[in-house]
Formats: sequence, structure tokens, C-alpha cells
Amino acid sequence: MNTLVPAIGFGIVTASILAVAGVGFTLQFGVTNVLNLAYGDIMTASAFVGYLVTSAGVSVWLALAAGAAFGAVFSVLLNRVVYTPFVRRGTRLFGMIIVTIAVGLIVQNGLQAIFGATFFSLQMARPASVHIAGMVFTTVQLAIIGIAVAAMLLIHLLLRYTKLGKAMRATATDPDLARNCGVATDRVIDLAWALSGALCGLAGVILVLNVTAFTDTTGAQFLIPIIAVAVLGGIGHPYGAMLGALVIGIASEVAATVFSPSYKDVVAFVILVIVLLARPQGILSEIAARKEVAA
Amino acid sequence: MSTAWQFYISTVLVYLGVDVIACWGLNLQFGVAGLVNFAFIVFQAAGAYTAAVLTLGPAVPAARGGFQQYVGGAHLPFPLPILAAGLVGGLLAALVGGIAVRRLRSDYEAMVMLVVSLIATSVATNQVGLVNGPNGLSLVPKPLATIVNLSPIGYQWLFVGITAGICVCVYWLVHVVTSSPFGRALRAVRDNEQAAAALGKNVTGLRLLAFVLGGVLAGISGAVLVEFISAWSPGSWLYPETFVYFTAVIVGGSGNNLGVMVGALLVPVAFLEATRFIPQFGPPGLIDALQWIVVGALALVFLWFWPRGVIPERRRRFPRPAPAEAEPAPPVRAAP
Repeated sequence: MNTLVPAIGFGIVTASILAVAGVGFTLQFGVTNVLNLAYGDIMTASAFVGYLVTSAGVSVWLALAAGAAFGAVFSVLLNRVVYTPFVRRGTRLFGMIIVTIAVGLIVQNGLQAIFGATFFSLQMARPASVHIAGMVFTTVQLAIIGIAVAAMLLIHLLLRYTKLGKAMRATATDPDLARNCGVATDRVIDLAWALSGALCGLAGVILVLNVTAFTDTTGAQFLIPIIAVAVLGGIGHPYGAMLGALVIGIASEVAATVFSPSYKDVVAFVILVIVLLARPQGILSEIAARKEVAA
Repeated sequence: MSTAWQFYISTVLVYLGVDVIACWGLNLQFGVAGLVNFAFIVFQAAGAYTAAVLTLGPAVPAARGGFQQYVGGAHLPFPLPILAAGLVGGLLAALVGGIAVRRLRSDYEAMVMLVVSLIATSVATNQVGLVNGPNGLSLVPKPLATIVNLSPIGYQWLFVGITAGICVCVYWLVHVVTSSPFGRALRAVRDNEQAAAALGKNVTGLRLLAFVLGGVLAGISGAVLVEFISAWSPGSWLYPETFVYFTAVIVGGSGNNLGVMVGALLVPVAFLEATRFIPQFGPPGLIDALQWIVVGALALVFLWFWPRGVIPERRRRFPRPAPAEAEPAPPVRAAP
């Protein structure tokens, strides 16, 4: 019991990072139906942008903004320049998966070629630690949780109460019908990539804020838990992803404490495989529509 | 030819043979049957570990000077470890495919395979007792080495001959499979699953069989490789390696056995070997990184310009059946 409560604390921090990344992933997949396996590598690229900002001596807050902005711009460009042209040319699901893996490999190894294959860490003051109900957090971890909660609230308000959110949900459900009803789906898709990219970039920076050191593969290693979160919540369902993040974040940290740290990721894998076999539509979703890629 | 060159060329030829066998296996799954197996490298690894363990003999406990631990272990004579590797590759494919191929739609299948690949690496690395963990197996005795008594260079060429012989057998197998009615049914399932099912084809059974056959070939390719290089560790089969084989199949011509052979020659061999001759520059790891960038770019370029590969799959045409006499042909309307 003594080790379990702090483990839940770590789990909440991991869940916060997973929630930001997972909601971004699921939003983009839901709206565009492109399984973007380069997502983890874009996270790493954004983390490196954050690294450049902090090593220039600017505050960590600006690094977060810069990472999010980079993620958004990079994702929109990636979709405009690579993914959409491939889809328009007739590349279907299999082909698109290979295209996204190729892009991921290029980004990841491009980062390695530019920065070198060593360890990096963000420059910042040593955080103080705070005790809350038997759990120990650093101030940075508390900030991460705060950022995640704020981001989730914003996403909730955006999807529920704005016209854009409605258009996004409409496009995710049926792009053709949405287009026929006067939704400018092209613009909605661009905005979905921007929003998902911003969350991706934000997640990349808070991911490396929470670890002592990162490399060019840090984001790619985080991709499977992200996919697990998205699938557990039902792909395309942001609220499901939030719930999935909480489950997987806490379960993997508790497993790391109870069994062995090397099995931390295996928990996410096992949950993912079980969900895919037992309930491929996810825990919250009612339907699993077989859609084509939306261009 | 100097000895060094002979060593180099014979080594590259063995690698080529291994890659060709693996690409034929992946082509059966991906090119012919349309299965996206992102865990392909796991089946190669399973074959390699099997062959290594069955050649090494029983594990020596650390107390008596043994430096690697693994389960099983036997001294089987030469062709048996390779055949056993094929068997294990096939059984593993039946197990994984029995769960994933039967139940899942294609994009989820791709995801599960990626995850299977990562889980397998994690288990092989962390369960040290299974196949010696992160250090892997090494000092696997070379097949026939004690019997034939050749000079090192002669042995190299003998191994090239063995690999070529296995390649010929495998080619015969994949050729028979792809040109048989079974191969035709697989292509039908790939191109239009509903139509094939409507014609009474057992879609799941056909796919599963293609998956298992691909697993057998993957296992054999891993076995040939490990018997040659005498060592195998988790670092040899990380999941991006699967992507190299996918690129080879796409570049060569997915669905075409000869095309895939050319792909294996171009991508894993020519592209990854050619960099040996570039003088080292930049910090360590730079050339590796550039290599991966080039492989990724190659996949993108081919998917864009030549999605059907260097030697495309032959389009199969069948004569239109003669129209029935009694029924008048439907009127042909001009397109508006």
C-alpha cells in the first residue's frame, strides 16, 4: 500500500501526458481517417523545438507555446504536402500506413542527423516537491497536470459549444454528408490537423519535461500507449481518449511498481490487444463504421 | 580476386539470399493476400532463435562456465535446424494469425501487428532465461563446418551454394503457390473480399494459410542468416527492419515474385550495402540516420511514382464468357 499511492500519483502525471497526446491523435484520426504513425515522431520534433527555446534561455512556458505552434504548423503542412496528395492519388489504407511510417522514419532520423544520437534534457530550475495525500509531485508535474486539465476543458468547450466543433464532429461522422450540408470540410480538416498538431506538440514538450533525458526515439516509444489510449476510448472519441488515458496511465505505473519497471509498456500493449479483440469499437463507442480515407 | 573481396562478395550473396527468401514470404502475405504484417521480422527472429538453439546444443549452466542461457537446446545435424525454424515460424504465424487475421479489420490488424512486434522484442529482452536477453545468442556452430573441412574462403562459397539451393526450393514453392488456383483465390480475396466470399471462397481460411506460409518462409530466412553470422540478438530485429522488407516488396513490385527478388536486391542489399563504401563523415550514427531517411524516402517516391513497383504484377485477363443466346445484349448507352 505504501508504494501503491505514490504509483497512482505517477500514473496521474503519465495519464495527463497521454490524455493530451491521445486526444490529439484520436481527433485527427476521427476526422481524416489517416492512421498517422508519424505522430510520435512529430512529438519528438516539437520537444526538440522546446529544447532549442529553453537552451536559448527563454522560459519553459514559451517552450510549451513554441512546441505547440510547431506541432500545429508541421502537421498542417505534412497533411497538405504529403498525406492529402497521396490520398488524392488513390493511395488507400495500407498505402497510407506505409506513407506515415516512412514520414516518421524520416523525421526521427532527420532529428538524429541534426542533433546527434545523444541524450538531451530541457534547461530549467530544479523543481520543488509537493506532498498531496501521500503522493509526491514536483511542481513541474503539477504544472503538467494543470496544463492537461486546461487543454481538455478547452477541447470540451470547443467541440460542444462552437460551430467549428460541431462541424468537426459532423465531418468525423460522415464527411460526404457534412460537405453536402454546407460544411467547408477542407477547412475543417485543416483545422483538425492544426488542433491535433498543437496537442501533439504540447504533449511532446510536457513528455520531455517529465523525464530526465530524451532522445530522437522518445516520442516514437510513446506512440503505442497513445494508440492504446485512442483505441480504448474508441477511435475518434475525444472523451473516450481522456478516460482511456486515465486507465492506461495509472495501470501502467501501478504495474511498474507491482511487477517490474520493464513491464510498464507491456500493460498498454496488453490492454490494446485485448480491446482490439474484444471490442474493436472501443469502450464508449456504439458503432464501428468502416470508412475510407477522407481527403 | 583477392581473398578479402571474395569474403565480401560471398557474404553479400548470402545476405541477398536471406533477404530474397524473406521478401518472398512477405510478398505472399502482403503482395498476394493483402495482409499487412508489421510483425514480419518477429517470425524471422523466431526462426533464427530456433535454429540457433537447435544447433548450439543444451545450455551450459553459468556455474560450469556457460555464458548464455536459453530454453531447449539440441545438437541437430545441418538441415534439421533450418526446417525446424520454418516449422516454428509457421506455428507462430498460425497462433498470431489465428487471433489477429481472423477477427480484425485491416487497419486494426496493422496496429496489432506493430504491437506484437514491440511485445516480442520486450519479452525477448526482459526474459533473460528464454533466449539470453539483450545479449542474444552467439557462437552458433556453422553447419557442416566440422565435416567438410574447407578453407575459410571455400566454406564461404559452400554457404553461398547452400543458400542458393534453399532459394531455388523456396522459389519453386512460391511460384507453385502463386500460379495455382489457391494463389488465384488469394488474389481474389485481396482485391474484393465480398466477391470472393460470395463465390464460396473461405476468406479467413485462405488468408490464414497465406499468413502461415509467409511465417514459414520468414522462419527459414532467419535460420539461414543465423547459421551464417552465428549470432542473433534483439537488436537484429527491431520493428523498423520490417519496414525495410515492406519497402523492398513495394519497390520491386508487390505481388510479383521476380519483382520482389529485384526489390530485395535493390533495397536491403544495394542501398544498405552501398553505404559501406562511403567514407565515414560527421558524428557517429549520422550515416545510419541518413540510411533510414533514404529508405523512408524511397518508399514514398515509389508509392508516388511507381506504386506497382519496378516489375509490376502481371494483369491477369480472362476471356469474357460468350453471352447466352436467349438473352439479348443490354443496349449500350453512350456516356453523357
